[in-house]
Amino acid sequence: MVSKTTTHAAVLFSIILLFLVLWPAVLNDASIYYRVMTMAFFYGALAFTWNLHALTGSISLGHAAFFGLGAYGSALLNYYTQTSPYVTILFGGATGALYGFFWNITFDKLRGARLALATLASVEIPKVIIDNWDSFTFGSMGLVGINTFPALRFGSFVVAPGESLRAQYYLLLSFMLLIGLLHWQVIRSRWGWAIRAVREDETAASMLGVNTTGARWWALLLSAFLTGLCGAIYAHLIGLIEPSLVFSLHISALPLVLTIFGGRYQYYGPLLGSLILYPLDQLLLHSLIPVGHAIIYGLVIIFTLLFLPQGIGAWLQQRIRAV
Amino acid sequence: MILLQLILNAFSLGSFYALVALGFALIFGVTHAFNLAHGEMILLSGYLAYILGKQLQLPFVWTLPACMLFLLLVAVLLHELLGRVKEPYELNTLVVTFGLALVLQNGMLICFSADYRMIHSSASPFEFSTLHLILTQTQITLLSTSLLATISVYILLRKSFLGKALRATIQDREAARLAGINVGRMSVIAFAVGGVLIGLAGPLYARTAYLHPYGGIEATLIAIIITIFAGVGRIRGILLGGWALGIAESLAAYALGIGWRELVSALLLITLLLLRPEGIIPRRMRQS
Repeated sequence: MVSKTTTHAAVLFSIILLFLVLWPAVLNDASIYYRVMTMAFFYGALAFTWNLHALTGSISLGHAAFFGLGAYGSALLNYYTQTSPYVTILFGGATGALYGFFWNITFDKLRGARLALATLASVEIPKVIIDNWDSFTFGSMGLVGINTFPALRFGSFVVAPGESLRAQYYLLLSFMLLIGLLHWQVIRSRWGWAIRAVREDETAASMLGVNTTGARWWALLLSAFLTGLCGAIYAHLIGLIEPSLVFSLHISALPLVLTIFGGRYQYYGPLLGSLILYPLDQLLLHSLIPVGHAIIYGLVIIFTLLFLPQGIGAWLQQRIRAV
Repeated sequence: MILLQLILNAFSLGSFYALVALGFALIFGVTHAFNLAHGEMILLSGYLAYILGKQLQLPFVWTLPACMLFLLLVAVLLHELLGRVKEPYELNTLVVTFGLALVLQNGMLICFSADYRMIHSSASPFEFSTLHLILTQTQITLLSTSLLATISVYILLRKSFLGKALRATIQDREAARLAGINVGRMSVIAFAVGGVLIGLAGPLYARTAYLHPYGGIEATLIAIIITIFAGVGRIRGILLGGWALGIAESLAAYALGIGWRELVSALLLITLLLLRPEGIIPRRMRQS
């Protein structure tokens, strides 16, 4: 049974992947498709990194803190030292991880709803500081004209993510797949078992000799690093950041909605959520309701928690198993 | 004399905060539902008052009962919605109401646009020229409404039979159920009364601050901070907590600049969550 489901999933996954890789070649004017799907991959990657932390059973409402710090860390380093964005994004990730380290120390004892509240409030700290530190961060005006990723040359083959939408598309697709692979490996690994043991029952897990503190700490650190990396990539991709944008509730909410909708316990859940919801929002709703189209994310999260608490991934899996 | 004016402003702000927190505290105390859409519901009520005043030329005082009635209905609907949430209840209500907050935010964005709106008061302020003190009509309204609302809730909880049942539910749901209290009905009542209080806070919000669809989260955080500070089921503590927060924020704004005000509430919330976990878990009331 399990192997059958796995084969089904693998076939489905390959079809989707093949479609995503080849489809642009068929389209003539694909710019809107490129733009929307690039961001869908981006938020897919963000959802994967969010879920790395959520696998421990904690719900974070504050990942925008890592995101914004990553974006600012990378953009400011690039601005002041002119280091290549390919290097500074790693520094952005490290900035996020550093804040994750402080999270770990401070919120060590908090669980459940109280932890979620604390994470929600913790976004305000870097946001207000960056907002008010005009001389260094340019305050609420934000950073404009951030350097985009320079072109890479492999012999005669040129990848220019700064100019070509197609290059952005494939780069973000590979980035998301890479993070997804990592997410999958984390779930499969011994550490992944420890993380899930913590989620089910932390006391019992620690009784059985699982290093629960270590499992939680590393999950958050990894998640914070990768979220910071996403923020840094965002900064150099879009070219403009401001505190109200990168520390917004939207950034914290989106990975949560995509993951919970797609399925928190499946290795492909975040991917499913981002590939379904984000294009639906951007291509369909955005033209219908230009302002306030994000209402769909709120509706989806209420619907999912009430009727499909395991997410649509688990629901599909049951369907496939029943066939 | 500027100090006296600052103190007065801080107390008026604090009274407003207490009013914002009352509904949240009651709902959370009785049902353990974390209503993250609390601030958005206050904004909704504020927008309703704004529309009623603008379109129907309704005087401000008459918008209050309309808003209270409307929010009562909204809160009872919310109770129905949260009744379907599965375990773990606290965390799941948090996520569901987070979704509701997004829905209300964007719904208000669609209906009322992102323009800043405010119900302006035409009444002239009182000036005490000997003390160089200015007391606006809005501040008087805030101070008196907040006191009145707190006292009413206090009397409801302390002096009535219904209040006794509500307090018993706050203290221990299971024991209350064993004592023959209809806990489900207590939850509906808590949501209804909470809704009325939210409805009352909305128009006053629109009088004090600018309405903006994204402004709700700040009100929610304020309500949570004061609820934790006061400890669940302690109505007088809410007034004290509101004043304390008002003073703390005014001090921070005065000493550091207005931009740092938001940091105070965030740091306070984190500190309270870390140091006063018992504030959020109901405990036995020792006096009485």
